[in-house]
Amino acid sequence: MTNLQSLSRILAFLGKEFTETLRRPGAVLSLVLGPLLIMVLFGLSFYGYPPPFRTVIVVPPNSGLPTTADSYSKITPDIDVVDVVTDAEAARERLRSRSIDLVIIAPPDLAAQLLAGKQSVLAAEVNISDPIAAANAGYLANIFSGEVNQRIIEEAVRQGLQIAVAKTGEKPTDVPPNVIAAPTRTELQNVAAVKPAVVSFFGPAMLAFVLQHLAVSLVALSVIRERGSGSFELFRVSPVSASEVVLGKVLAFAIICAIVGAITTVGLVAGLGVPLLGDPLLLAIAMGLVIAASLGIGVIIAVISDSERQAVQLSLLVLLASVFFSGFALNLDLFLPVAQPFTYLLPATHGIALAHDLMLFGWTNAPWHFFALFAMAVGLIAVGSLMLSRQIARS
Amino acid sequence: MHHVRSIPPPPAVEMSAATRSFGDFTALRDATLRVEAGTILGIIGPSGAGKTTCVRLMTGGLAATSGTVRVLGEDPQRFRRRTRERLAYMPQQFTMYPDLTARENVSFMASLYGLLWLNRRSRVRKVLEVVDLWDVRDRRAGQLSGGMQRRVELASALVHEPVILFLDEPTAGIDPLLRARLWEELHRRRDAGATLIVTTQYVNEAEECDQVALIAEGRLVALAPPEELRRRAIGGHAIEVETEAPFDPSGLTALPEVLEVRSTGARTFLAMVEDAGSAMPVVVEAVAAHGGAIESAREYRQSFDDVFAALLEQAESSAGADANAA
Repeated sequence: MTNLQSLSRILAFLGKEFTETLRRPGAVLSLVLGPLLIMVLFGLSFYGYPPPFRTVIVVPPNSGLPTTADSYSKITPDIDVVDVVTDAEAARERLRSRSIDLVIIAPPDLAAQLLAGKQSVLAAEVNISDPIAAANAGYLANIFSGEVNQRIIEEAVRQGLQIAVAKTGEKPTDVPPNVIAAPTRTELQNVAAVKPAVVSFFGPAMLAFVLQHLAVSLVALSVIRERGSGSFELFRVSPVSASEVVLGKVLAFAIICAIVGAITTVGLVAGLGVPLLGDPLLLAIAMGLVIAASLGIGVIIAVISDSERQAVQLSLLVLLASVFFSGFALNLDLFLPVAQPFTYLLPATHGIALAHDLMLFGWTNAPWHFFALFAMAVGLIAVGSLMLSRQIARS
Repeated sequence: MHHVRSIPPPPAVEMSAATRSFGDFTALRDATLRVEAGTILGIIGPSGAGKTTCVRLMTGGLAATSGTVRVLGEDPQRFRRRTRERLAYMPQQFTMYPDLTARENVSFMASLYGLLWLNRRSRVRKVLEVVDLWDVRDRRAGQLSGGMQRRVELASALVHEPVILFLDEPTAGIDPLLRARLWEELHRRRDAGATLIVTTQYVNEAEECDQVALIAEGRLVALAPPEELRRRAIGGHAIEVETEAPFDPSGLTALPEVLEVRSTGARTFLAMVEDAGSAMPVVVEAVAAHGGAIESAREYRQSFDDVFAALLEQAESSAGADANAA
């Protein structure tokens, strides 16, 4: 009888949360359609590649280098040579006014330096605050420099061959100058089962990301509203235990999040063409664990928040932390090795790794994420339940 | 031969010198009271007097700063689950769920108290009928009037047939007709053996209670049955006499049964006596003996507004005297 009564209490919370959620059709609609709509908009609008750097090349007079923009247009598509000028200061002024992104200044005495056996400096100047774009500019400047070097060598070989033919009447080699200048070239082959695409790559990540945020905010707001309305005092007098309250709420929101997750997955796969190469059951388990661990975080947020506003702020902080540290927007390998373990304190980090692996590769080479999520879910829900129990007792 | 000595059951509620402070502010000071099972204790006093604090000490919502509180023999801070199944609490503020219907709210609370499905259905219907909400059972609580919301909460408190009910202003915002019906239901519960602790700002509801605790400024000013409080307020019983012609009642003070005479008009006066029943014929005869003709004579029942005003006045002057003595 006691077990039946306990079950009845847990089901009462489950039913209540379900009914309250369903009674708000606008909220249900935004829960289900919101993530999909965002993904569609993202897929339609995100280009995935930064625009080429608007570049001015400064060529000193009598340097012997080409003086038309077209001459440099095929060096790399990431550099858009908009002008070739002789006045370096005028080019810098355009850089300072941010009407261009990059100024490349050729050395005035390239031939003399080369003949003297000295290396010339190809100066590249940028005016960029974005650290990723700045790093990219350095990378592009190196490519540009390599291309220029290659052309210089190619030209030198061509001239050398002409001199040799003129002097000896024989061609010393049949190897073309461009091959001598660049004996190798790269051909990239991606063996991944899925061709990289913006929606395919971000879709699985968004699934885990959205489920974490949904679970954290839903349960946090529900618990804090209950506390604010005075229901905790009723619970305290009634025979319901804190663990029954937590279990009922966790079950209810787990089911609601699971439904949203299932609909989002179907939408991603069937609607947006995101591949699902792995076992759907494994993906469901992974996302279920993300939801469970996130619900634990939500309960803890509710207990430590003194108002609904603070709970919302803390939920948003978890969201913000996930944007940076979960691998959603930035590759985790970009972080210092000492910082990387901390990124795994977020359920979304494991969820995104598993969703990527299971959907895009068909399997995971890191099954430890499952165990980590399971441990997080059990630990966080237990801690949340204990904290809530104390709070109800104090109410 | 062994004699089996039966141990009397503990009182439903017992407070001994219970004090609750919030920092420098003392919400309830040295409250001592005892509520026997099967009675209605009305806790009455002005707003902010300490009524809710008193109830929350009993429910375990607050711990006493000093003194002891026992409910069904247990410390409310350590109620066992079995004990909690026998309690009900209706707080002052609306704690129901606005998106759930009246029936769903009551059913939810019934589930928390362990009522299983079949039993729950019939009990929910019964209490909703008692509070006259069956016709609006499928309306969301958030769309109900304030009075209806109070009734949903009351139904939620009654649904599991508790042994002790703590009701914090259950009749606030409810119209007089329905208030009378609710008191009828509370009396029925009392007659069935339940104990009810009811706070109210409606002073006249003291009449509905078996015991009344008057609280003012955190002090338990008086604790007695309503009639006894009336006696205390006016120092005994009062007989209201009206004569056919103007009459000077001062001569009646010579009667041993009469404690005091208060003239309230040319033809009316109040005779304060120990016991109205036995003193009435003596007073009537004495009026006639002093040349007066009686128009009417009846026991004077002060309204509880006046009773409490008098008791509070007495308490204030007593406190003032104590302070002066100190």
